[in-house]
Amino acid sequence: MTRYVLRRLALSVVTLFLLVTIVFLIVNVFPDDPGRRIAGPFAPQETVDLLNERLGADDPLPVQYGRLLRSTVTFDFGDSFQFSRPVGDLLWAALLRSAKLVALGLFLTIPISIAAGVFAARRRNTSADRSVVTLGLASSSIPDFVSGVTLQYIIGVKLGLLPVLAVPPRGAGPLEELEYLLLPAFAIVVVYFGYIARMTRAGTIQALDADYTRTAVMKGLSTRRVLSRHVLRNALQPTVSVIGTSVGYLFGGLVALELIFNYPGLGSLIYTAASRKDIPLLSAAVILVGIIYMVFTLIADLIIAWMNPRARLEAAGS
Amino acid sequence: MDFRVFDRARRQVGPLQLDLVESYAQGKVSRREFVRRGTVIGLSLPFISAIISACGSDDGGTSGTTGTGGGDTTAAGTDTTAAGSGTAGGTIKIAAQKPVSVDPVAMQDLGGYGLVAQVFEFLVTLGENGEIAPGLAASWEPNEDGSVWTFNLQPDVKWQDGTDFTSEAVAATMDRLVEAGQSGLKGVITAGAVDSSDPTKAVFTLTGPNGNFPYLVSVFNAQTPITPVDYAIGTTLDQNSNGTGPWKLVDYNPSTGARFERNDTWWGGQTLLDSTEFQFFDEIGTMVTAMQGGAVDAIVQFQVIGGDALLNSPDFTVLEVESSTHRQIWMRCDTGQFADKAVRQALAFTFDREQMVETLFRGRASVGNDHVIAPFMEGYDDTVPQREKDIEKAKQLLADAGVTNLTATLHATAAFQEIPELAQLIKSGAEEAGINLEIALESLDTFYGAQWCPAEPPDPPCSGAAELGIVDYGHRPTPDVFLNAALFTNGVWNSSQYSSPELDAAFKEYQAAVGVDAHQAANKKIETILNEDVPVGLPYFYNYLSGNSTNFQGVRVSALGQMFLEKASQV
Repeated sequence: MTRYVLRRLALSVVTLFLLVTIVFLIVNVFPDDPGRRIAGPFAPQETVDLLNERLGADDPLPVQYGRLLRSTVTFDFGDSFQFSRPVGDLLWAALLRSAKLVALGLFLTIPISIAAGVFAARRRNTSADRSVVTLGLASSSIPDFVSGVTLQYIIGVKLGLLPVLAVPPRGAGPLEELEYLLLPAFAIVVVYFGYIARMTRAGTIQALDADYTRTAVMKGLSTRRVLSRHVLRNALQPTVSVIGTSVGYLFGGLVALELIFNYPGLGSLIYTAASRKDIPLLSAAVILVGIIYMVFTLIADLIIAWMNPRARLEAAGS
Repeated sequence: MDFRVFDRARRQVGPLQLDLVESYAQGKVSRREFVRRGTVIGLSLPFISAIISACGSDDGGTSGTTGTGGGDTTAAGTDTTAAGSGTAGGTIKIAAQKPVSVDPVAMQDLGGYGLVAQVFEFLVTLGENGEIAPGLAASWEPNEDGSVWTFNLQPDVKWQDGTDFTSEAVAATMDRLVEAGQSGLKGVITAGAVDSSDPTKAVFTLTGPNGNFPYLVSVFNAQTPITPVDYAIGTTLDQNSNGTGPWKLVDYNPSTGARFERNDTWWGGQTLLDSTEFQFFDEIGTMVTAMQGGAVDAIVQFQVIGGDALLNSPDFTVLEVESSTHRQIWMRCDTGQFADKAVRQALAFTFDREQMVETLFRGRASVGNDHVIAPFMEGYDDTVPQREKDIEKAKQLLADAGVTNLTATLHATAAFQEIPELAQLIKSGAEEAGINLEIALESLDTFYGAQWCPAEPPDPPCSGAAELGIVDYGHRPTPDVFLNAALFTNGVWNSSQYSSPELDAAFKEYQAAVGVDAHQAANKKIETILNEDVPVGLPYFYNYLSGNSTNFQGVRVSALGQMFLEKASQV
């Protein structure tokens, strides 16, 4: 197992190197003049040149690439072009906010979706099963910003049951903070419920049909024991994998949802950095999201290995 | 007329002011224009009132702001709600655009303007009626030809760190603005223009006469708030917030917002509110939702399109400011299909301006006449015939120019306020005259960087611009920047590549005009030349919309996103 983890970590380093290279190429595709952006359209060229020199924006590309690699290792990306503040400060604050939203979203989504998936699988081809499948298909086909706006309008504006924005007032306690995050978290539930429930349903049906389940039932184990010890352990492996890869997206990809609820998470930070050509901030944010992807994919793989001894053995042998 | 009062008043003023007073007495300028112009050239409000009273005239209001709406609508700048008498204490939460920059010298966006104006003040500020009024300068006066302006500073003003505010800070601020090439002051003053030998006076020596100079050091030239002597270029509000204004910055997060608390030592008195909170937004639509949902108490700006919920809400006070914000449909005058003036005129004759005003702004705009002088600006000449939609005339002009099957691409930004809808209206009008326009909606970067004013080739500026497009211009109280940057030969934003010796001369004449007659004469020339040559189509000027919950009163706003809260209070 240790060897497997080490191999995965080594692979992650290679992936990270490729990611940094791709990020560097992307942010340098478009010609830009950060000095001009900061100093304004009428500033004398000498002022702009001085700024570009200070920012290192006119360094040769290999020098800039080397600086980006070094920044990735030390995770010190300098100051944001736009905000004149350390990139790290901006990034960690946004990361923390995204983490809260993602955690609440998944906390609500995972139990409901898995329960619905198992429920549907055990009632295969009944109206209950079809209801879950249909509901899941419908909900996962609604983009998060559509469900977000709808929930915001109905629950927030019309009914006044929950705050319309996700940022709590200054000095809010954890419970109040939770209340402010509920609407965007519900929007995440709407999108991911169908996906995870259908994945769980399919895995559960496969596990219920498997020989080891039949053997367990014939051995006289209780239904509860059969489900927990034999069915779910196998059925949930694809679900865990899906959740693992979704976390990375949830951290960096909820741009529209964050804009709708005015929640300054990583998604909206990336949007701001991209739209304002803030290269240090953009590079750092994208690399951070990439690292989150890798970490959670690795965690998902480790959980799967823990759930499935065969996978663990294959990993150890490979 | 009360000649005794009138004559006594006349003896108190210099030649420039006297010219205005006599023009008013002779009926050459309206009361509204008299008040506006008088304020600019340094007449005090009591003096203006005395003259109006002596002349016994009552030919118009003094407010430059109007508006009606489903909600409670007030003229912004008009403190109709007895501010100062509301409930003391509390905090107002404001929805504002996320600032791009809070560097007072380099900021270019409404989000930045609004924040900086909480802490730093201008020599000339926003008056009660939307006009300019004394700010850090208690009064000002020009010399005989308007080339030297003396600003007498307010007494007992202190920076937040307790040090005295003097004219040295004015001189240092102006030098920084000159160094940064500030668009409004460029060519008007040079480094060292301010004599600060008397700490209570800032004496500006201009490069030439300028009758509008106080506007250029007012809230309407948003980068000109006075900052301390040691405030270097590139310093941002959060790095140094040692201002003279009514609010102290206590917290700033570029992603989320800013919080200000009352400055107890403010020279203007004590604010009723304890604090203000600015919450930053990326989208105006989200700001409207936040206002609807009660998450904020005021909104710095919203649009008619998407803002119906606020305009119709009984719980919302609409603040509507007449502004010169407009769109220019530029047409290349030097090359291509629009080089012939007749073709440009033809396209302008296809605009249904009334329909645009109604469809895009529900009437909260005024019709434009293809020149940059807005109807509310001083010296606006309404005798220049208004261009109306006339398809037959457009067809005739095209035929006379020998143009058939005109096809062109109309470039515009994909996601900027009403511009995509405007592009559709222009296209459909043009089709009626046989002009086929393909609309190209582009990202902001592509549009501004590649179509409107590409950096290459650099000389003359914007010579790489597309043949036809729609570009946005923000509010200015005078047309100087519109003329200087967009229409003057080789102007830095001259995407139409228009070059007219007549217009250049008229603009110079306008800048130098300090007397009423000269000012009006120059305006008329500019309007006539632009209306005839049509380097840009200009279909409307639209009003700036802002507002607050009816739980608050005394909020004032400028058309540049500056919200003034020193007199605001809870109802």
